[in-house]
Formats: sequence, structure tokens, C-alpha cells
Amino acid sequence: MRLWTLLPGLALCLPPPAALAVDYQRDIRPLLAKRCLACHGPDEHSRQANFRLDTRDGALGKTGGHAGIVPGDSARSRVIVRAQDPRRPMPPAGPRLTADEIDLLKKWIDAGAPYEKHWAFVKPTRPAPPAVRDARWPRNEIDRFVLARLEQEGLTPSPEADRHTLARRAALDLTGLPPEPGVLKAFLDDQSPKAYERLVDRLLASPAYGERWARVWLDLARYADTQGYEKDNRRTIWPYRDWVIRALNDNVPFDRFTILQLAGDLLPNPSEADLVATGFHRNTMTNTEGGTDDEEFRDAAVKDRVAVTGQVWMGLTVGCAQCHTHKYDPISHREFYQLYAFFNQTEDNDKPDDSPTLKLGETTTLVMRELPADKQRRTRIHERGNFLNPGAEVAPAVLSAFHQSPADAPRNRLGLARWLVSKENPLTARVTVNRLWARLFGTGLVESEEDFGTQGNLPSHPELLDWLATEFMRTDWDMKSILKTMAMSATYRQSSAVTPALLEKDPRNRLLARGARFRLDAEVVRDQALAASGLLSRKLYGPPVMPWQPEGIWMVVYNGESWITSDGEDRYRRGLYTFLRRTSPYPSMITYDAPTGELCTIRRIRTNTPLQALASLNDPVSMEAAQHLALRALREAGPEDTARATRLFELLLVRPPGAAELDRILKLHRKAAAELHGRAAEQFKLLHYDQIIYPRDREVVLVDDARGVPPEWRYTVNDPGEGWQSAHYDARSWNTGRGQFGWHPKMPAEWKVATNWESEFLWMRLAFDAAQPLEDLKFLVRTAGAFEAFLNGVPAAASLLDRNGYYEYRVSPEGAAALKPGRNVLAVKASRIREKENGGQLMDLSLRGVLPLQPGAPTAEQASRAAWVVVANTLLNLDEALTRR
Amino acid sequence: MSPLHELLLRHTRRYFLERCALGLAGMFLAEARGAQAPQNPLAPKPPHFAPKAKSVIYLHMAGSPSQLELFDFKPELIKYNGKECPQHLLEGKRFAFIKGVPQMMGTPYQFAPRGQAGSYVSELLPQFSQVVDDVAIIRSMTTDQFNHAPAQLFLHTGSPRFGAASMGAWATYGLGSENQDLPGYVVLVGGGNNPDAGKSLWGSGFLPSVFQGVQCRTQGDPVLYLSDPEGMTRTLRRDTLDALRDLNELQQQEAGDPETAARVAQYELAYRMQVSVPEVMDISKEPDNVHTMYGTEPGKQSFANNCLLARRLVEKGVRFVQLFQWGWDHHGSSRREDIRYDLPNKARMIDRPMAALIRDLKQRGLLDQTLVIWGGEFGRTPMRENRGGSYGQFVGRDHHPYAFTIWMAGGGVKPGLNYGATDEIGYYVVDKKVTPRDIQATVLHLLGLDPYRLSYLYQGLNQRLIGPTDEGRVLQDLLA
Repeated sequence: MRLWTLLPGLALCLPPPAALAVDYQRDIRPLLAKRCLACHGPDEHSRQANFRLDTRDGALGKTGGHAGIVPGDSARSRVIVRAQDPRRPMPPAGPRLTADEIDLLKKWIDAGAPYEKHWAFVKPTRPAPPAVRDARWPRNEIDRFVLARLEQEGLTPSPEADRHTLARRAALDLTGLPPEPGVLKAFLDDQSPKAYERLVDRLLASPAYGERWARVWLDLARYADTQGYEKDNRRTIWPYRDWVIRALNDNVPFDRFTILQLAGDLLPNPSEADLVATGFHRNTMTNTEGGTDDEEFRDAAVKDRVAVTGQVWMGLTVGCAQCHTHKYDPISHREFYQLYAFFNQTEDNDKPDDSPTLKLGETTTLVMRELPADKQRRTRIHERGNFLNPGAEVAPAVLSAFHQSPADAPRNRLGLARWLVSKENPLTARVTVNRLWARLFGTGLVESEEDFGTQGNLPSHPELLDWLATEFMRTDWDMKSILKTMAMSATYRQSSAVTPALLEKDPRNRLLARGARFRLDAEVVRDQALAASGLLSRKLYGPPVMPWQPEGIWMVVYNGESWITSDGEDRYRRGLYTFLRRTSPYPSMITYDAPTGELCTIRRIRTNTPLQALASLNDPVSMEAAQHLALRALREAGPEDTARATRLFELLLVRPPGAAELDRILKLHRKAAAELHGRAAEQFKLLHYDQIIYPRDREVVLVDDARGVPPEWRYTVNDPGEGWQSAHYDARSWNTGRGQFGWHPKMPAEWKVATNWESEFLWMRLAFDAAQPLEDLKFLVRTAGAFEAFLNGVPAAASLLDRNGYYEYRVSPEGAAALKPGRNVLAVKASRIREKENGGQLMDLSLRGVLPLQPGAPTAEQASRAAWVVVANTLLNLDEALTRR
Repeated sequence: MSPLHELLLRHTRRYFLERCALGLAGMFLAEARGAQAPQNPLAPKPPHFAPKAKSVIYLHMAGSPSQLELFDFKPELIKYNGKECPQHLLEGKRFAFIKGVPQMMGTPYQFAPRGQAGSYVSELLPQFSQVVDDVAIIRSMTTDQFNHAPAQLFLHTGSPRFGAASMGAWATYGLGSENQDLPGYVVLVGGGNNPDAGKSLWGSGFLPSVFQGVQCRTQGDPVLYLSDPEGMTRTLRRDTLDALRDLNELQQQEAGDPETAARVAQYELAYRMQVSVPEVMDISKEPDNVHTMYGTEPGKQSFANNCLLARRLVEKGVRFVQLFQWGWDHHGSSRREDIRYDLPNKARMIDRPMAALIRDLKQRGLLDQTLVIWGGEFGRTPMRENRGGSYGQFVGRDHHPYAFTIWMAGGGVKPGLNYGATDEIGYYVVDKKVTPRDIQATVLHLLGLDPYRLSYLYQGLNQRLIGPTDEGRVLQDLLA
């Protein structure tokens, strides 16, 4: 550890110069781990020649009759002999060890072959911030660690970013939104040295803070609004999401935040909120497919909980040990099942109803509940990870390579949670501050956020990491405080502009000689566009919403649910409220690398693809934001083009445009206005884009279904013969009844059948009035069977599929043509296609149409206004707009 | 860029790839922030060894067609028709719906040897019967999953659970894409529903998301968000992109981030895709004889159209084309799940197009370099399903993981081959058992990738398509 401060600049990327002493952590352990330990490591099943190199005792042992390592004498060490053996070289597979690598091993052995415990498994101690030459630059301890390293490299930090940039950066990082105009203005007008701190405090106090960091946490919790697997039915677990937002806004200390989520139900007299918090591990998937073995999927959920717990809190790839002892880290196969034993005592067992649940007013959500003592399960090791192949019985226990729980600690999830957030735990604080750092700086101090084990990366600034970890614990796990410390640092405030020389020296900014610049997260891309355009709803909490998405995304088997665009402000909620179906996630989010909730995602890997370009250019949601962004700028800026361009730019990018930028924008506007000259339809569409994408706002219900006010139909179950569907047929002898029509052996209440129908066929007729011409005519049909529909005797729609929900069937062109102003007749024949006993039969439908849009005459003024929508669409796609810088 | 600079970059990159044991090398490429524009992760990459196949077309029949009605002729089973299933075939078995003791059921369809190879194929596939000499029929497939979603995931991603990378993602990760104006991995979904396991079947799992399959749709936008928004003319879109480029350049001069240039390049590619994707998806300009051969109708959603699209896509250099056709789950619980009423319709729907695909690829000289695979996720029971313990008016079969049939053609596979066999009633495989892992290993091998070496470090493990063990084998005796 002591050698780290002496490392050369690109030590993480380049081999160290030969002159430097060999360091076990940096040079030897990674080499052994990569080339030797798979066969000579902790896993005894795969160990060859009964020889191990992961411990010093093992390495000094015999292999082939000779000592593997003779400390101080590399020439007599079998490891070196075999590495250089031309006929039977070690390792036996893959490339030979290079001369440099062998040289490192020799030097290390000659120096006595010192082994050290892996750095991350040693409890951090609080390092004193190093001395620096430039005492004026550092604003807090973080900066002294960073600057000391830069000074060794002969580098200087970048200047502080300008105030506009700082405001946008801090707001995006801390709240996931651009700064509100009022907040920005207050900051720009505040001349005191405390101005930036006041801004940071304001952002940390904003409710948006909880939403932003909840989204970060929900990636880890593999949160989604459905059960997963084949059926992927809806589940109600959003109260857990809301709990996370509240807990973060209330700045619940991270140790308590942990205990509540892992074991809230085991606390004495838990409150409702404490129980909701246990939803963290109820986000595992539930398989309700026919014939599945519930135990198989209960076991899969428990294993997932073990792996996710290890990964989220300790940065350990515990999941590797479910089939065999971990090949690199000190986690045995047995220990995996000792951890499993902690999670093996909960009531849930892959049931379709996701029990146990908790009723909260109208809502019922998933919670954890421990089995009573007399019903507790025995836990056995699963040979090769297979639950059908149980081995020796084990009791709950924490990992033996780490600190132990106090003797009186409960041997359940509560004891485990306390062990994780014990100040003796070498990993939890490091892993957590590293994650927060990575969200603010784009990359963690340990780049492999998900792996602090021996296979993970070394920290770029080990002492800074340890300082942050100890500071986090010293402040009793205060998340807002540690984030504030990071955001207040001079390191954080640097400009992200990079010179070619610096780019050459440190392309990936691991030395932190400049501010970070990286693409926004999927939700932020959306939220920023909505915020700039003024559409964003600031409503907190509640059930997930369904903003506009393209048709045909939810083609989900055996599931009657469909995507029904929300109304009003629910169309414009922040991205974290968007309904997340695991098998069919919201497409533009996925395109921008958001997770699906199937797996715990420790860090999102940012990609840069043409599909992202298509989404931001053409997604109607983005286009709607462009429309409103332009209209807002026009409203706020007055009639002058330069003022309009400036306002539009400022609303989105939170800075005034440069002269060259302004010129280019005005040029685009002129070109676009010229192109739109005389084009009435295009002018209208650009300026009324929302009316195009929400035709439901213009919808007229011609015939309603049972969800609204169902009309009284004429119906019969006896074959009426030819001509029954014609406009002039006399159906007065038929019965009368309202939807829904149907029958079921057990008649579920939610079917809401108003008129009994249990024969094979059903004929229905209804006369209705149509006042004005409509377009996009469609039926919404709910049927467990087939149907045909006729408008004034003309075939209008038919289907053979049996489906549970209300599905859309477009009216055929002939059918639509048959519809006339005034009186019309709708005739429907329904037939069940299942066997009667097999699930029942149902019929209900409505007929709807949409009032057509009516563009007026084209004008020069409209062309100019519409051209601003084109400009807004362009600016929303700027690299800068998609980037946090 | 100075030579020193270039060396440094190369050294840095190589070090990351080879020495740092970082594993997330793919991510590094996707995110690299060198002085040059980041490398395109979809640029063509050299295979491990000379490939037999350049492209793959995988026709997956979601729900799983009955091998006993289509390919696996079992005259002995007909003799047992209506007899109770012997206990030893039921003991220790789990079925999705069969309860108690079901009856054995032979096929109602006629079979005959076809082609030079004398391959037995059912009367339900008359067109396909004419091309069997170009096809290797594998009647000895097995799986260890008996539900749709896990079995589909196991076959296509190597893991029955969600979260692993699909075969097409592995192929594009390993080889990149030949056509930079089109996605490297295209998915076409037919039959009105997504396959049971949903989009995870063409997901990238732990691989970077650039490698996930791009679903091309035959109605609406062929690729999501491909069309310009209403009101945005093509000229306006070009103006937009020109302004974007200029403004981004101003920003890059200011900020110096190479990522900005990469984004400009992706926007230009998106603009080209707006033309190239609809072009390749537009089958209306194909000559009449092609439409007759496939049975295609421009503008319709059909399996035939998707087969023709698959040929057009591989012709343009798309690496992996994955078709899913829904509706093959013939349990016999309703008319549309009945092997007498519905199966012939489904067979008719695929027979001509899949035969045409093989003929068409062959005529164009593409069959040698294109591997075509057809199959479901498991088989169907030799017993008649008795859902709820009794029989109703419809007839079908339950899920059967112990034996099923797939076929392969072209791309280095021996033509006219009959591979493997089941017992006299088609219950178990008795010769040359094949697992999904073997198929995965063989597909990668034919593409020139070593299935044992192609890996990606995630959660501390070297993840591979064929899973953690080396059980998967390249089926050497299947190769031409």
C-alpha cells in the first residue's frame, strides 16, 4: 500500500518501469490470479497437483517433489523453473509468461515472496491528506489527494468550470434534472463566496434528489413492475420505489437504509414503512408458467438475493461460489450456502400471487416475512449449484475471511445486515462511496464497481478511497454529506475541456486533471427534454405511468394487458415512474442503456449507437418536447429571432450561445422556414405535434363498452338465418341486454358479466348515431372467442384469437366507408372457440373514431414558428445536450 | 497524431485488453476515450479460424412444433394408439399439463422417404420434401427445460434464466458486422406475438448493448423511430443533421472530447439507415418469380415475407438474422391448438417459404456461406395431452424435452444428412444425442469462432455462450 503514492502516472494502464520495486498487490497478485489460480487457487475441486499459489503456505509447499517457492531464491523455486521449462511450460495453456512477467516473479521471490492480504479485504484506516506544493487550489481533503498525485505527474488541475456549467453539472448529478430557471438565476446573481455551496445545498434539499438517487439504487434492486419470466404479469411493488425516494430525501443513514431493506421485518415492532423497505429483495422474479416447480424458482430467487447482497454491499462476486468454491476470492462453496441460509427462511415461494404481501390502503404490495420458528427450512449445500442435488447441511454464517459478527448477534437477516454495515467491514463503505463517486465523476476510483475482489481493478487513488470510506463512516453513513463533500471539491468543479496534451497523457482521465464529461443516463435524457420544454410533471410517487410508446411493443403472450397511454400530467412524469415490464421495457430507455430489471445492474455501460440517434431525432416523445420547447421560447422571448434563438438555447443548455453558435442556429432557422414556406400540413403538424400523437384526446365513442356506459343491445343465441347483419333487418323479436355478455364456470367477479351467454354463438345488433365524419375507426373488443362485426351490413372487423383484455381491431376500409352521418347499424356475431368448461366465454366491445385534424392556410408567420420546432429538435440532439460536462 | 502518441495509445489499449485482467474490454472499446474517435465495436473483426458460414438465419418456431407430425416417423407408435402410457415412461417425469396416465398417440399423417437421401418427412411439408437433399435433419435433439421461456432462453442464450447474451449477440461481438449501414443482428417476429421469453431472446445480456438484436418490424417503422416525425421533411432532416454537425464541431473545438466526433458519426449512420433499412425491407421490387417461389405478398405480415427478408438481409452482409414465428404450442386445449385442425395450417404457412429460402440461397450461391437452422425449443410428447386429467374434443401433445427434431442447411453442414434417432415410439433419443450446447458450439464453430475461447468477463466469471463447462461439442460428423 505504501508504494502507491510513488506510482507513475499511468501505472494503472502501463507496466511500471523496471527500476521500481515489485509490489505484490500491483504486480504479483493480478498475475497469479490471471494465469495461475484457476488451477492452483482456493477451489480444491479444480486444484491441480495439490498445489496452491494463493496463500504463502501453499506456495512454499511441494510440487513435483520440489518447493513451489523458495523465499529469497528464485532459481530454486519450482514456479520459476516450470515457467521457463521449454518442453512443459507453466501455465500449460494460453501464451507463455513473458520475460517481463517472469522477471517480476523472480524479483518478488528474491525479495522473500511477501504475501499481503488483498487490499480491499483490509479494513480502511483514515489516511492523512498528503502535503501539496500548490496550497491554494485544494478546497477540501479530496483535492489534496488528487493534487498530490497530479504534482507527481507534473500536471496541473484544470481551471474551474464557468458558473453556467457548474450549475447544470451539479443539478444533473444531484437531482437528475437541469437547474430550474429560478435556482439558476439565484446562483448567477449570488456574488458571495458561498453561492456555490448554497446551490449544492438547495439541490440536495430538492425532492428531485431522492428521485435521482432512487433510480441509481433501483438498478441495484433490479426493480421492475412485473414478475418476469414468460408471463411477466404485473406486480405492485412501486410502494418500495416510493420508500426508496423518501428514505433518500430524508437522508436515512446508509447503515439504517441497509438494515431496513434487508431485515426491516425482523426489527422489533416494524412500522408499515419498515416492511415496505424489505421490497428490495422481493424484486426477484416469479415464474407462473404452467407446470413450473415452485421450489426451483424459489431457489433461484434466494440465490439471486445472496449474489445481489454480496455484490451491492461488498462488491464481491459471491454468486460465483454457488456451483463451486470461488476461484479467486475467499468464498467457499460451503460459505455460499451459509449465506443462503440467512435468506432461506422467508415465506415467499414463487407463488403467482407474490405472497406474502402487505395491504396499504387500496394497494397491496410485496414484503418479506420470516417463517415461524417451527416451519423454518433446513439449508443444504447444492452440489454443483443444483437444488435437486443437496449435500451437507449448513447453518447461517458470515464469510470467514472477514470480521465476525458479535456472539450475541441474531443468526438471521438482521444479523447479516448489521454485519454488512459494521464499521469493521472493510468493503461496504468503500464500495458505497465508490459508487457515489462514479455517478458524479463518470468512473469509480475503482473502475470495476461490481468487483472489489482480487479480479477487480486497483483503485486509481487508494488513499482517497480510504479517506472517503472512513469519512462516510465517521459521519455515521450520511449520504448527503459525503455527496456534498465530493461536489464541493475543487476536483469536481474543474472544467471538462481537455487539451490535446492532456488527452495524450491521460486519455481516460484517471488522474482527474479535468472535470468529467459523459453521456446522460436514459432517464435524464428524457427528463431534461421534458424539463426544458416545460412539460415535466413534478408529481412525486404513485403507481407507474405509461407515457407514449410506439404501437406493437407489448406483444406479450398469455397476458391481456396492453399499454394504454396515460392521461394529463402522467404522460410527462420523470423516467423512473415509467412502467417497466421486464420482457418488454420502454424502448427509448433501453436504447440509452437503461437496465430491464432482470438482473442487478451495478453500473450501466454507456454505448453510442445509431439507434440512440434515431430515438432522439424521431421518437415522438422527443419531438413533442421539441414542439413545446420551441413554443415556450417563442412565448418567453418576444418576436425577435436572435432573442428566440438565445432563449431556446438557454432553456436547454443552461448557458447563452456563443456568436458562432447563434449564427448557425439562425441559419438553420432561415433554411427551415424557407423549406416550410407554403406547406400547410407540415407547418400544422410541427406546431401541433402533440395532437397527432395523442389521437385519444380527439376520440369520439360511437358505441361504448362495459367499462363506460354500455348501450342496450338486441341479441339472440338462436341462428337468425341470412341477412341478420344487414342495416334493414328487423331484430325486434330478439332479446335485449347490455355488455358484458358471457359465462364462466366460476364467474370471476372482475368479469362483470351483465348478460348471461353460454351457448356456442351470439348475434348482437345495435343502432347508433354518428354526428360528424371520423377517422381511425376501431373496435375495442374483449372476447374469449372469435367475432365478426358488420357496419350497415358491410364486414368491418373479425378475429379468431381469444384474448383476455380489450384489444384494438381497426375497422376495414369498406366498413369505414359504410359509416354515414346519422343513423347506423352495428351487427356482431360472437362464437366461443374454447371448450365450454375450459375458461369460459366473453363478449364486449366498443366502436371509436377520432376527429380529423384541420390545418388552416399556410402563412409566413407559421412557417417561421414551425421552423423553431425544427431548431428545437436539432438542439435536443446536440452532443452537449446529451452530455453531462 | 505523433508516432509516440499512437504507440502510447496502442500500448494502453493492448495493456487493457491483455494485461489488466479488466475483462470489460468490450466496454473499453465502446467507451474508449483515446485521442482518436473510439473504435467502432461493430467493425468487422477477424474470426479465430477460417469460417464455413458468414451468416446465420435461425428460424425459430416458438411454442415448439410436433416432431412426430413433421419429421420423426414412428409407425410403432401408431400401433399403441389409445393405449395407456406405460408407468416407466412417467415415473420421475414432470410435464407442463399431463396429469395421471395419458394415452399414447400415433400421428394421423402420412410419411414417406424423400429425395436421394430418403429422409422421412411428413405429407404436411410437400415443398420442403423436395429440398431435403440440401438439408441435415437432426432427430436427436434434447433439452433439459420443459417450459417455453426457459427452454427458449437456454437454446438461444445458453442459460435458462434471463440475463445472458444471445447467440446473435455473441456472433456480432465476435465478428462485428459486414454492413455498416445496417444492424449486424436483425430479428423478425411473426405470428402476432413475441416468443414466450420476450426480447431477452435477442438481448445482449452482459455484453454491451450495441450487440443486441435490432427488431425489424414489417409493419410501422421497420426499426423503431426510423421514420422522420410527421411534419419533418427529408430536406429538413438533412438541414438538421448539417446544423448538428457544425454545432457539434464548435463544441468539440471547445471541449476537445473525441466522443463528440463519434456521436456525429452515429448520427450520419442513422441518417443512412433511414434509407438503407426501408430499402432492404421493401420486398415489392422483387421479381414475380421470387414472390411465387416464396408465396410472399408485399405489405403483409407473414412468415413468407420474413423468409424473403432474411435472404435480402444476409445478401447485404447482416451477420445474424433471427426469425421467431409464434403459434406452435399444439396442446389440444382448443381448436387453434389442435394437431388436426391447426397444425396443417401452420405447416402450410412455413412449407413453401422455408423451401424457397433454401432454393433461393442456393441459386444465388449464398447457401454455402449461410447457415440456416429451423426448430422449436423442445419436442412434443408421444402421448396425447390430458389437461386436467381427461380428454375433451380437441387433440394435442404436451411439452417433451427428451426428444425433438431440428434441421440445418448450408454454411458448412453436410447436405442430405439424417442425423441421430429416437426409440420406436419417439420418446427418448437412442442415437447421437444433441443438446442446445452442442448446437451453440457448432454454430460458433461454423462462423469461425472457437466456442471454448469466445468469452466475456462478467461478475468475475468468463461468461461463454456454451456455459461454464466444456460439455458442448462441435458436431464434427454434421460438418461437410
